[in-house]
Amino acid sequence: MPKNEKKISNKPKVAFFDFACCEGCQLQIANMGEDLLDLLGVIDVVEFREVMSEKWDKDYDVAMIEGSITDHHAEERIKKIRSRSKVLIAYGSCATLGGVNGMKNSFELDEIRKYVYGAGYTYFDSTPTKAVDQVVKVDYYVHGCPVYLPEVVEVLKCALRGIPYSVPDKPVCSECKLNENGCLYEKGVVCLGPWTKAGCNSWCPNNGNICYGCRGLVKNPAKNAAKNIIEKYRLDPALMKNKFDMYNKAKEATNEPKK
Amino acid sequence: MKYHILEKDQLECFVRSLSKKMKAVGPVAKGHNNYAFEEVTSASQLSLDYIPTILPPKKYFMPNKEKMIDFDLGGKTPSAQAALECEELAIMGVHTCDLAGIQCLNIVFNERPRDYNYLLRKEKLFIIGVECNKYCDEYASCALVNSHLPNGGYDLFFTDVGDRYVINVNTQKGEDFVESVGLDKAEGRDLAAMDKIREEKRKIFKNEVDIDPKKLPEIFDKSYNSKVWEKVAEKCLSCGNCTNVCPTCYCFDMEDFINLDLKTGSRVRTWDSCQFETFAAVAGGENFRGERSMRQRHRVYRKFKFPVDKFNRFFCTGCGRCSRTCMAGINLKEILKEVAEESKF
Repeated sequence: MPKNEKKISNKPKVAFFDFACCEGCQLQIANMGEDLLDLLGVIDVVEFREVMSEKWDKDYDVAMIEGSITDHHAEERIKKIRSRSKVLIAYGSCATLGGVNGMKNSFELDEIRKYVYGAGYTYFDSTPTKAVDQVVKVDYYVHGCPVYLPEVVEVLKCALRGIPYSVPDKPVCSECKLNENGCLYEKGVVCLGPWTKAGCNSWCPNNGNICYGCRGLVKNPAKNAAKNIIEKYRLDPALMKNKFDMYNKAKEATNEPKK
Repeated sequence: MKYHILEKDQLECFVRSLSKKMKAVGPVAKGHNNYAFEEVTSASQLSLDYIPTILPPKKYFMPNKEKMIDFDLGGKTPSAQAALECEELAIMGVHTCDLAGIQCLNIVFNERPRDYNYLLRKEKLFIIGVECNKYCDEYASCALVNSHLPNGGYDLFFTDVGDRYVINVNTQKGEDFVESVGLDKAEGRDLAAMDKIREEKRKIFKNEVDIDPKKLPEIFDKSYNSKVWEKVAEKCLSCGNCTNVCPTCYCFDMEDFINLDLKTGSRVRTWDSCQFETFAAVAGGENFRGERSMRQRHRVYRKFKFPVDKFNRFFCTGCGRCSRTCMAGINLKEILKEVAEESKF
């Protein structure tokens, strides 16, 4: 080996990419603290715009994707990344569900483009918001806005071992009760916990906040129960729909995840 | 039977002595009429007049996320070692319904193959019960299952007779502690005061659902296809809160967690719930209880039918937690009344 060539370790090469997002999930990872050092003991981070300027020109063992796909350029870019990645992990609600960017889909596309970009809106490309799996195949999901770090680490370990990770398919309430939080509905506050996937250890209710539904709906959300609850707690159905739309709108599109 | 007394103004001294000897927990007010067992070092933190806590004391007997083994996949052959994490712990202010719940868990975990983690941990727990002189709220059904009066399962048991507690000493461990604190023996008038409380209780606590409990197994024999289950399913969110808070629900899952070295790790037991859609799902996609109605029925049968057949005992302690915690308003007493009504035809 020539002297000036850097020795390349045989640790898996992991790259972080962002699309339409606030980059808050990357920030979570950058702020992970001591666990990050342990994590760096088993992986090589080869691209991560928020924390380093180096780039990688070979294939990725793992690509971590933050953000949703909101224009043609992004579609092409995510397809290229997919073709260079052995494993692709969508992390954060924007990537896994479309997230808050999905609210765009509640409007006529041109109407919203005009609103955002003004008269010259045609110069700015824009497509309805898509979750990453509505464009390319996703191998692992880490839901959440932002992601819950213990879950990021669990999913990465699964990816490195090549075993599946099951996103919990039970409501947030299940974890909220184990944390012995009083039910927010009894305090007169509307919370999306009963229909939202657990796995965050009821992070928001633990801190006095409601569940905003950032992890997406459980596979079989209780629709009849929702009707009963709207009645029992005298809620406004339109307000409930708005709350669900905040994170889940893009997933209303019927196209199945890419296989 | 040995009885001692503790003047109420001596409770602080009692709690301090106890918490110096070992970690002590008891019911603590959490606001909005919610209570939880939490660590206490002073009587001022305790709420001994409380409605059942959000989680029952089972959280100390079979903790959620309990390490069972440490393993190492790094060597030539994988190795594993049994793990037990437990500590001396005093649980103060346990209601009779929760004492009944602990007795149910004791039976289950003593079944062969015995659960040594449970049994060894239990030896470290010091249980101090407290009598309810009146109903906690309208969700309770302790008189139906006869758990409103003390029936063993504790080291010490407090009955509030006004200015003092009469303490029933039920174990050697309890006696040793009472002697170390130097509590006076109860006199005739203390015991008379306790009897009077019990007499009053007989007037207050009446079968809450007006069904002869002896008839319940027979009623449930006929209720497998009852319409009640569909009705309950319409409301059910499958959030598993009814089983999480139940003092006798013990179903669990096992999960393996690997450390970042990707070689060593641990096997962890976590609470599971028959209410989750995934609970009875098996390889190949079959789900034995895919419908909410089947899962709710299963839960109720696990309280009033199956354990009666197996252990000759209800696994409902009448604490009312499942109904109290259900934000969708599923009410156990109403279910019982409806199946009883239906079974008449």
